[in-house]
Amino acid sequence: MGTQNIQPAIVQFAQLDKLLALGRANSLWPMTFGLACCAIEMMATGASRFDLARFGAEVFRPSPRQCDVMIVAGTISKKMASAVETLYDQMPEPKWVIAMGNCAISGGPFVFEGQYGIVEGADKLFPVDVFIPGCPPRPEALIEGILELEEKVTGSRRWPRVEVA
Amino acid sequence: MEQQATLDLLYVAAFFLGGLGFAVGPFVIALLLAPRSTRNTQGKTKQLIECGMEPIGDAWIRFGIVYYLYALMFVAFAVDILFLFPVALVYKSQTLIGALDAFIEILLFVGILSLIIIYAWKKGVFKWERKIYSPR
Repeated sequence: MGTQNIQPAIVQFAQLDKLLALGRANSLWPMTFGLACCAIEMMATGASRFDLARFGAEVFRPSPRQCDVMIVAGTISKKMASAVETLYDQMPEPKWVIAMGNCAISGGPFVFEGQYGIVEGADKLFPVDVFIPGCPPRPEALIEGILELEEKVTGSRRWPRVEVA
Repeated sequence: MEQQATLDLLYVAAFFLGGLGFAVGPFVIALLLAPRSTRNTQGKTKQLIECGMEPIGDAWIRFGIVYYLYALMFVAFAVDILFLFPVALVYKSQTLIGALDAFIEILLFVGILSLIIIYAWKKGVFKWERKIYSPR
């Protein structure tokens, strides 16, 4: 039923697309959408101390039709999976998905022989662009994930990469 | 004079076209530049409800008809006053005889509208009591 094909735009200009990508990367609109404890970290990232607004990605939209990024923040239970898929369906192109935390990457601590309630990773449902490991990841990690996504969108990194000392 | 009128019309037309372009232009640009489809998993892109849940029932529901009483009250008090503002202007420019005419007219107008209040009174809108509508 679903499709992963995008019908491209009628009119395309290479330079304009670059410009649009730059605009999109610097004003990502994530979805107000949390599934578990990672969502608390996501809220902290949006709030004043870590201040996602510095990177232009603070406009959390309550409707999938206005969103660019879906941050899958938490465990996807099988009951919730269809709702998550519906939200993904309703996001207009171009759209990106960030899998935040171990649960959204692979099921995290809930994976064991014979488990029946958890979807083992957001990429079982739809393609994921950026994976952020952690349980839960710190707000800095989410910001780094958003910067990675910006790099994926524009092809170049706007901020200096932090070296591990 | 004739030329001035034509020029004014041209201005109006230019503003109209400008406004139209401003309103319709973004739609055309979006139509040309936006991708024409979106990737989906369940084919629910066109679902109306945007919270991920399946919609329950129809949006075409029966509306509580009791609210017509509020509409009546709104007409009796708010809309009534609204129509009295132009009357105040007319009053100012009248001589004594004309003022009497206008007074009778406004008396008729307010008198007819006051019937609403009598109607609502009779219906018991002004009584402060809890109404219980049983389905029987």
